[in-house]
Amino acid sequence: MTRSSSLAVALGVLGVVFIVIAALYAVGVLQIATSSATGPHYKHAILFAVLAVTSFVGANFARPKAAT
Amino acid sequence: MSLAQVLFMGLLQGASELFPVSSLGHAVIVPTLLHWSFKQSDPSFVPFLVLLHLGTATALLVLYRTQWVAIIRGFFTAAIRGQMQTDTERLAMLLLVGTIPAAVLGVFLESRIKSLFASPYVAAGFLVANGFLMLGFEVLRRRAERRAAPAAESRHDQEAHFGSAERISFLAAAIVGACQAFAFLPGISRSGVTIGGGLLAGLRHEEAARFSFLLATPVILGAGLVEVPGLFQGGVPVGEYLAAALLAGIAAYASARFLLRYFRSGRLDPYGWYCIAAGLASLALLHFGL
Repeated sequence: MTRSSSLAVALGVLGVVFIVIAALYAVGVLQIATSSATGPHYKHAILFAVLAVTSFVGANFARPKAAT
Repeated sequence: MSLAQVLFMGLLQGASELFPVSSLGHAVIVPTLLHWSFKQSDPSFVPFLVLLHLGTATALLVLYRTQWVAIIRGFFTAAIRGQMQTDTERLAMLLLVGTIPAAVLGVFLESRIKSLFASPYVAAGFLVANGFLMLGFEVLRRRAERRAAPAAESRHDQEAHFGSAERISFLAAAIVGACQAFAFLPGISRSGVTIGGGLLAGLRHEEAARFSFLLATPVILGAGLVEVPGLFQGGVPVGEYLAAALLAGIAAYASARFLLRYFRSGRLDPYGWYCIAAGLASLALLHFGL
């Protein structure tokens, strides 16, 4: 994988965005692409939480490592 | 549903979930052919499917318990280190990359697609298409085998030229994972498309099946777990459903063991021919109302 600070930062920011979206779905504020227009959507919230974790893992992989 | 129907559906789901023959297609076609009157679109049917899926996922977790412990440990080690150093760590990341597309497509598209195509005629048609897909995968694979090992004399020699699940590329893992979305179409098999995708990505048959089963576990488990609250609605016969889930788990475990052994030298062709025959026979039976 290509290591670059800017890619790591971008993935970190993306992870934060996913966490916010997950929280909004979990409390029922966000209703985009859901089967019902009211209430919390835990399936969507879990998905975005997983995407957030994946982004943070990707950010850690992209982060340039100090030479040992 | 009567107790006998509940148990039969459990057995059918468990047995057909891992074979490349589409459990969803069978679940749509078989009750119609048997003139069973229950409606699968009924909300009370969802908890039933949830438990059957949890039974299948549990069987896969039991089958690969040692590997899953190593994979989860490998995931956290590699994620924290920011580097993959072992095959298990690479496999953990491949499974994550393969699961994400299926999860995204599943959350946003699954219920819409399933409701659009939940007709036995459509399922039988897709079952025939699934059969041709399996045969197509094997045609392409045979071509790759002739290129890789033109002088191979046995199936063992042919398979030896292909790789293990840990060696698949990340792009291929993502594509194979995304292909799981085709299984939202009743009649198209999740394990069929993922095993076929693994074969095209250069895996041995047995390894393609292993990758398919490992890839299926989080998807099936996740899809089941998020629906668990629905089990606690009133009027759900949890005891009967649990018995069906147990049967589904046992059938799935036996199926997986059989398939892993079969794919040491076997191919997808018999399942392809079965799907074509079963699909055409179902279409005929549905058409003539037998």
